[in-house]
Amino acid sequence: MPRSPSARRIKKLIAEREASRGLLIAFEGPDGSGKTTQRKLLKRWLESQNHQVVSTRWASSALVKPMLKVRKKIRTLSIEEYSLLHAVDFRHRVETSILPALWAGQTVLADRYLFTALARDAARGLDLDWLLHAYSPLLWPDLVIYFSMTPEDSRRRVASTRAPHFYEAGQDVTGIEDPLASYGRFIDRVVKEYNNLSVVFQFMTVDAGDAVYRQHTRVRELVEKSGKRPWPTFSKEAVEEWLTKSNIRGA
Amino acid sequence: MADQVKYPGRLISVDGTRGKDVTLAANDIVARLKHDGIECAVSRWDASGLFTDMAAGIGGDRNVSIRTLSLVYAADLAFRLRWEIRPVLEAGGVVIAAPYIDTAAAFGAICGLDEEWLRRLMRFAPAAGYRGLVDERKIDRPWKRRTDRGYAEYGALLLEAAAPKRVSKPARRRMMTMLDRARGRKVYHLTNKGIGALAKALIGSRKDASRPSASRPRNGHK
Repeated sequence: MPRSPSARRIKKLIAEREASRGLLIAFEGPDGSGKTTQRKLLKRWLESQNHQVVSTRWASSALVKPMLKVRKKIRTLSIEEYSLLHAVDFRHRVETSILPALWAGQTVLADRYLFTALARDAARGLDLDWLLHAYSPLLWPDLVIYFSMTPEDSRRRVASTRAPHFYEAGQDVTGIEDPLASYGRFIDRVVKEYNNLSVVFQFMTVDAGDAVYRQHTRVRELVEKSGKRPWPTFSKEAVEEWLTKSNIRGA
Repeated sequence: MADQVKYPGRLISVDGTRGKDVTLAANDIVARLKHDGIECAVSRWDASGLFTDMAAGIGGDRNVSIRTLSLVYAADLAFRLRWEIRPVLEAGGVVIAAPYIDTAAAFGAICGLDEEWLRRLMRFAPAAGYRGLVDERKIDRPWKRRTDRGYAEYGALLLEAAAPKRVSKPARRRMMTMLDRARGRKVYHLTNKGIGALAKALIGSRKDASRPSASRPRNGHK
């Protein structure tokens, strides 16, 4: 039977782990901004530098992915349900894959993170304060790389490859039947929200219009320069809660 | 975000620590109101099927936290509000939410979450006009670990391995004590007498609502 570790012991453990824990890097930006390409390039580069790297993608937890997939397909989700199911996915990944990897000293690359939810759900009309509350306690990334592009460019890039699906196009809120026309309107709001968030949460911006290799060089520079956002200051509650629940050796 | 709409309908919440008792109490209220000539709808836990789908998906791996479970509860509640509760309230009918916010808040709190976090999470749900608390049978027994009975039983099954003390026999008593707090609104203990009192209060309020306002000039008055 796991013992419940004392608060003091947990505090000590978190402080001791700070030096050896892994770095959490979030990739954010509108659809078509090249996040996934850059994430893969960075992963390869980090691995060539002998780092252990774990990637995590949005809405990918084994717990939630099947539930979300079927409900998205039949288009039954309300704005609140859509938001809350993504919060479930996020929380589950934080507890079962992100924090364990960071604790073990691995670097975690998150292809979309909390800010995706904040930008999309705020664009759907939900209150930012409630959204932050639903996602709390927050595990702050050490670095947020924001791939910046205009709504027009995002629309153009998405249109050149595929038709956006119902929720991606924001058809649940715009009510526009044509997915691309809806996407054009919705992404405008999403980019506005992203731009506000980038100021508040100090994103590191990369111009998504630049050549791929230039972006990669900039991403490398950002990662090399990046320090850690100390857990005891920024993410204490999230890490404490996870440690209390998990049966980590020493806790 | 908070639902402060004044609906013409009436919302009754039924909360308790045991799913079966909550279901039975809701049925008793339906029968009593029907006897008094009032039809009502019932919204039950897991109407969205999220918990059932999750149980099927996780299989033996029960690595789910109380915070994750609470978020699923909130998502299920959002579904119930959209399809079962708000339509009845908007149409001026009576709807029983069995269980409602208090069950999730009390269960989350005994499992270590901040109760205020839970209540703020579910602030999109309208406040119930009438609060019913189940007259619990077998309160001295621990929860049955099952996925098909109710939220607390489901939670007890999933959290048993990680936090056995949180879902023990005394925890159920603590949950009952939490549910019993008034929180500024009258609590109807759902015994036969309590259900009668609730029905009487509901019928009285509907009569009041249909009566013209004293401040409004009636026909013939200038």
